[in-house]
Amino acid sequence: MLNSRKSVRQAQVAICFLCILCLFEATLVAQDRDLVQRFEQVATLIRDNRFAEAEKELTPVLRVSPDLPVALNLLGTIRAKQGRLNEAEVLFLRAVRNDKSFAGARMNLVYLYLLKRTPGKSILQLKEVLALKPENTEAAEKLAELLLSQGRFDECIAFIEKQKLARSVPVSLLVVLGDAYLAKKTLPQAEENYLLALEGRLENAGALLGLAQISRLKNETREASIYLNRVASLAADSKSPEFLHKFALEALRVGMSEEAKSVLERALELRPKEPSYLLALGIAWLRKGDLFEAEKLFRQLIEIQPGNAQGQLHLGYVLLNQKKYSEARMWLEKSARPGVAIPEVFYYLGLVAQEQNDDARAIVLFEKAVQKLPSYAHARIALGSSYMKLKNYTRARQELEMAVKLDPDEPTAHYNLALLYARLKDPARAQEQMRIIEKLKAKGASTGGVVVLPPGSSPR
Amino acid sequence: MVLSLMRKLTIFFLAAILTQKLSAPTQRTAVTFEEVSPATSKISWTHDNAHSPDRQLPETVGAGCAFFDYDNDGWMDIYFVNSGPSDFFVPPKPLKNALYRNNRNGTFTDVTDKAGVAGGKFGMGVAAADYDGDGNVDLYVTNYGTNILYRNNGDGTFTDVTEKAGVAAPGWSTCATWFDYDNDGKLDLFVSSFVFYDKSQNPLCTDETLKRRYYCVPRLFKPQPSRLFRNRGDGTFQDVSRESGIAEHPGKSFGAVATDVNNDGLMDLFVANDTMPNFLFLNKGAGKFEEIGLSAGVAYGETGRPRSGMGVDAADFDGDGWQDLFVANIDHEFFSLYRNEKELIFTDQPGEIAPSTQLLSGWGLKFFDYDNDGDPDLFLVNGHPDDMIESRIPRVKYREPLLMFENTGRTLKDVSANSGTVFSKMFSGRGMAIGDFDNDGDLDVLTSNNGEPPLLLRNQGGNRNNWIGLHLVATKSNSAAVGAVITWQSGTVKRTRLKTGGGSYLSSHDPREILGVGAATTIDSVEIRWPSGKVDKLTKLPLNKYVRVVEGAGAITN
Repeated sequence: MLNSRKSVRQAQVAICFLCILCLFEATLVAQDRDLVQRFEQVATLIRDNRFAEAEKELTPVLRVSPDLPVALNLLGTIRAKQGRLNEAEVLFLRAVRNDKSFAGARMNLVYLYLLKRTPGKSILQLKEVLALKPENTEAAEKLAELLLSQGRFDECIAFIEKQKLARSVPVSLLVVLGDAYLAKKTLPQAEENYLLALEGRLENAGALLGLAQISRLKNETREASIYLNRVASLAADSKSPEFLHKFALEALRVGMSEEAKSVLERALELRPKEPSYLLALGIAWLRKGDLFEAEKLFRQLIEIQPGNAQGQLHLGYVLLNQKKYSEARMWLEKSARPGVAIPEVFYYLGLVAQEQNDDARAIVLFEKAVQKLPSYAHARIALGSSYMKLKNYTRARQELEMAVKLDPDEPTAHYNLALLYARLKDPARAQEQMRIIEKLKAKGASTGGVVVLPPGSSPR
Repeated sequence: MVLSLMRKLTIFFLAAILTQKLSAPTQRTAVTFEEVSPATSKISWTHDNAHSPDRQLPETVGAGCAFFDYDNDGWMDIYFVNSGPSDFFVPPKPLKNALYRNNRNGTFTDVTDKAGVAGGKFGMGVAAADYDGDGNVDLYVTNYGTNILYRNNGDGTFTDVTEKAGVAAPGWSTCATWFDYDNDGKLDLFVSSFVFYDKSQNPLCTDETLKRRYYCVPRLFKPQPSRLFRNRGDGTFQDVSRESGIAEHPGKSFGAVATDVNNDGLMDLFVANDTMPNFLFLNKGAGKFEEIGLSAGVAYGETGRPRSGMGVDAADFDGDGWQDLFVANIDHEFFSLYRNEKELIFTDQPGEIAPSTQLLSGWGLKFFDYDNDGDPDLFLVNGHPDDMIESRIPRVKYREPLLMFENTGRTLKDVSANSGTVFSKMFSGRGMAIGDFDNDGDLDVLTSNNGEPPLLLRNQGGNRNNWIGLHLVATKSNSAAVGAVITWQSGTVKRTRLKTGGGSYLSSHDPREILGVGAATTIDSVEIRWPSGKVDKLTKLPLNKYVRVVEGAGAITN
């Protein structure tokens, strides 16, 4: 989704440039020197957004030669820039029908289809371009990127590997190849291609980011942080909000919340109000423990996209942690889409019910969370706690003991079990549980809160 | 036709009267607290916290204050506790505690020297009560060092009887609570101990970025057991800390309140500890206490982590007949409102208090009926112990606002914004006492601020609702009537209040009980079940007056 949005934006820019590219194609087609000059003039006018004048220049040409591919391509460019995408498509298609080797018009179609959110058609056009001009680097890079963004990893890998056999490929393609292997969790090949892209110099941020991801997947957090720190210094001047966002997400995954926060702030300067950046920045603040800043960002996100389920979930989570239960409940309920509610939503709503002294309802909600995710230790702790409040000590014990099995390092489970044993007049076992908590604290186990972060927000 | 209309009107008026009786509607105009300036009150005393670059921990936790009537004139006098000489502090100029006599006209006169209650130690808290039952209210002052028991001579002077009484309790004492744990009719004394501390015990706590010393968290210090002294009735006390079970539980106690959590007629103790689990000492009778904080659910936060308990109080805020508990903690820990679920189980449900106090650290606090509608409201005094906190956590301030919560039935609603301009100001709040210093029938507030002048707040409008004030005079029960259960009825509205002992932080309160009846114009009955078991039922009581109620003899209008 993110990649396709990125491609659409690139497409909008690219169409403008391609009309100039077409001029060089035009020289091959046009016999007349005046015609070439006229097309140059049209291209300049299009670049300056003077579409009416550009069209006026083209009209006499098209009256004389209505199927002239260069003229059709230029008029298509005008229409595309006017937002009249269907008309543009017809014109570009006429151009390539009349000149099958007209790569410029095909590239315009590539970007047009991206604008129309039909990346499959873009891919077909790119393949046509590459069939005509296998050495076209731009087309190759675009095709690889698109295949990756569309999740067509095998195809992406096959295409780049073939390119590698045929010719020396640019570094960017190696990074995409690494990304494709990484997406398939084929770590050795991913690593190999990233290292190839780096050519011994730690200067390719994309490759370094990939290596950081590999390290994280191998649980080599320290190495991941080293790579990410290097990326952070390279990204300092990055003008690509997409890259900054990608880096921030990875930084968040390895617990580099401060770095994530600062690059996301820059990404938001480059692209203000981008919902995905607001969400990630809110999460970064959450991870730094600042509920107030996080709340502000999630509220901004919801203001821009009122139906953003992630925004609603996170806002509900933040409010729950601030014990603002009524509003938390409202946002959490909004975030729960029928049939697709994640277990966390039921868990959070259960906590709200618990705090509002409605343990019967809390139990129903916690049960739903556990049904969806039987290994959900926190939901089981909460379930045990509610059963305990309702004096159903047998069920409370079952759930709490299960929670301890699922997550023996979670102090809250041990605390609730201690509470239960104390109420069952078994002080020895209660104290034993409290001793476990002390040991966990000494080990540095988190006792930050009962309310675990929403999925995707917590470090792995 | 006319008769029919008359009948309808009669029914209408009867319904109106019945409705009024049933719900006892209350005045809705906001009750506010107005600052009484030092120029008006003539209270010029200021707390000196001995602030130093060494950041010795006792500097930041004091001190307390009290409303009490030392000269038995029926008007609340005021006592303040100050710092003083200690192993880490030599005052550059003499420091003293202060006793201010109430001049009955809104002003006070400093009578400290004449009374002989200047302290002269590094003071913490104060607890006022007539421990020897001679009709004069005595003072127990806690210190970092040894404590002082001042016996009231009844002539405007006091005598230091600490040594004879045997209540010096060396170490670092914080709050003191008078109550009768063995129901023998004599006031016993619980003394909270904070950590083991002396000059050499001040580790270097610095912030790497600031390169300055800050106050160390109490987690770094060893806990100390609190003390329980049994009143022998001959002017001396027996230290029963060990045999009662209290000494088995070393803590880092800042606050304590004596209350009856299981309605068995024996006063229990709820003790707030800083960075350690809170204690709920259940009075088992026969002089024994059992610590049940864990099983009761009041010891730890929800993850099993102890919090930084400071101020504490108890009241039946939801009117279900069972004492609920309140503890103020440090910022980001949330304050706890423990609802009594009976069977010695509590559930922490702070409601609206939680978001309001998320960034605050609470000390003095008290449940009291600020608007005389009959139910207990809650006043909170806040301030961060670390004077450099803002440089580390910008959103948390050293000086913090006061908060007022109104009881709306089963919840407490933050009404601070409508309770006076003083709630928009910031203070380094610590101690807090309640009392009706102007005898106008509503409870005023006195707070002590660390290293700053105190604050006297006059309740404006609490007496728009009707009330009756009780001055309980025990004959068989303990002299403070701690543990008495007061039930009053006005129309169909019946209320009950347990007279607790202590509560708040380092402070002591007006011992009188003001019973609010809202807009009701009569009070049908007042019943007092004394700790001795004796029950006095009073009727035909006047409204909007204080009355003396003598155990076994009934009411005597002042």
